[in-house]
Amino acid sequence: MIKKELWVVVERDGSEIEDVSLEILGKSAVIAKSSGYSVTGIVLGTPEDGVVRDVIRYGADRVILLKHERLNQYSNDLYVKVLYDLISSELPAALLVGATYYGRDLAGRLAARLRTGLTANAINIKMDEKGLLVFGVPAYGGKIMAEIVCETARPQMSTVRPGTFSKVFDQGKKGKIVEVVPEISKVQDRVKVIDRKINKSKDLTKSEKTIVGGNGVGGDFSLVWKLAELTHSDVGVTRPLADKGIVPRELQVGTTGYSLKSKVALILGVSGSEHFTSGIRDCGTVISVDIDKGSEIFNHSDYCVVGDASEIIPAVIKKLEGKI
Amino acid sequence: MRNIIVCVKVVPKAENVIFDPATKRLDRSKAENQINDADKTAIEIALRLREKNGGKVILLSMGPPLFENYLKLGVAMGADDAILLSDRNFGGADTYPTALVLSTAITKIGDYDLILAGEESSDAALGQLPGQIAEFLDIPQVLFASSVKFEGGKLRVRRRIKGGHETVETSGPVMVSVEMGAVQPRFPNFEKMKWAVSGFHLKIWNSTELNLREEVTGLKGSLTLVKGLIEITPSKRKRVFIDGNVEEKSSRLAELLKERSLE
Repeated sequence: MIKKELWVVVERDGSEIEDVSLEILGKSAVIAKSSGYSVTGIVLGTPEDGVVRDVIRYGADRVILLKHERLNQYSNDLYVKVLYDLISSELPAALLVGATYYGRDLAGRLAARLRTGLTANAINIKMDEKGLLVFGVPAYGGKIMAEIVCETARPQMSTVRPGTFSKVFDQGKKGKIVEVVPEISKVQDRVKVIDRKINKSKDLTKSEKTIVGGNGVGGDFSLVWKLAELTHSDVGVTRPLADKGIVPRELQVGTTGYSLKSKVALILGVSGSEHFTSGIRDCGTVISVDIDKGSEIFNHSDYCVVGDASEIIPAVIKKLEGKI
Repeated sequence: MRNIIVCVKVVPKAENVIFDPATKRLDRSKAENQINDADKTAIEIALRLREKNGGKVILLSMGPPLFENYLKLGVAMGADDAILLSDRNFGGADTYPTALVLSTAITKIGDYDLILAGEESSDAALGQLPGQIAEFLDIPQVLFASSVKFEGGKLRVRRRIKGGHETVETSGPVMVSVEMGAVQPRFPNFEKMKWAVSGFHLKIWNSTELNLREEVTGLKGSLTLVKGLIEITPSKRKRVFIDGNVEEKSSRLAELLKERSLE
């Protein structure tokens, strides 16, 4: 019997829970409230008590803690095994995971082992009158949203795009905590991590002001950084520039990167493919500079400047520095 | 090194795809096609591994007969062989039966150390197929890789993780998905292209050759269903054009940025 439960895999880095996990908990709680479902957060490893408490305060009615030292660090082999065992005995109606590197690494394999349908990068989740989850997924760079359902298999699975849903915090919320110690002594991790390098980069979904540079910026990207410094903005980049390695991919904006929610976004030298514009849809004011008057980017902008970004950026810098 | 199998998808250019609301399917017939960029990156990584460690690079794709010519482009880049998995029954598949068909073919090819694929396709951008293929083959997976090296019988892969990257090691066989742009794919070689078109024999395998029943492939074998397509209309923007010369435009921009800074 499938249980009327929405499960959320909680991703964490030590005692810090990923925002996307909290966002999914928030959205799940909203769906659950109007449909008679409950929300379960799945936490793996041996976190501090505060983590489990927070999962409840952010929307879970219950936490299942899969308690094992080996689960403190993500491992595809171990996570798929313990989640498969738990899900195939508990039979929740749905399982949601953040569309992060780990979440996407996990979801495909887990869905295949569970023999269930998987949707990716959901930007919308609703429950229809039959109790079926309908996942809204951007396709073709975000010009179309496909509504996808999984009718015949369970759990209904989807990864969820970070920065899409709002967190809901309730300090006084109470919930149940269930501890499960998974049997993984015989499970081998076939992929051995021998080195890890983290460059602490900014989470652009939280950025108030963002300047995004594209191909039209010209050769000197340092001017974009300079302009950002002067206006206290964060810097984002289009996919082509990330592909060239000019700016780290962590700062990429668009379908496969961040969706900005900035109050102001300055877009420099970007023609405005659909892959890109889906990432600035939720910004307050959008100001764009591009050399081509017919650029699609101007259809997505409040203030439009037709001009060569490589000329305009240094001129704006001069103005802001008060040199002229 | 033993076989390196590269999973390749031929994708339409997004701008000329038409949606059919009646069938809820995409009409790609008028679209210009290309090998998915990330898959081209995967082909290049495979060719470089072969140049260093030997073995054969085999391209594998599921799709209609029109994909043949694109696979031949991959052969002209330097791949040793290419197989197209094509059958009417394979149509309308979501990633579950697609992974099933591809992994069945991979098992039929056999003798492999490495399966490569692009991190995701440009059309659906799901990125979940590599993990599903790995599961069906019961081999480890390393996704979002930017470099793959074969050293002392082991594969050393650099992969993207949140805020940085990791180097991991695994013994083959392994499934690796690679980031678009991790290396620059070479252009098809002109001489090889002539051979790919006239001398090379591209294998086509259907459901009979793969011994797959109709109900496990294509639309019938799919576990997800597209219920509807909704056009996303961009939010209404003011679209105020700022005119003037570079001086005037920059002044106005600086003002706008200052104003907004105070908010």
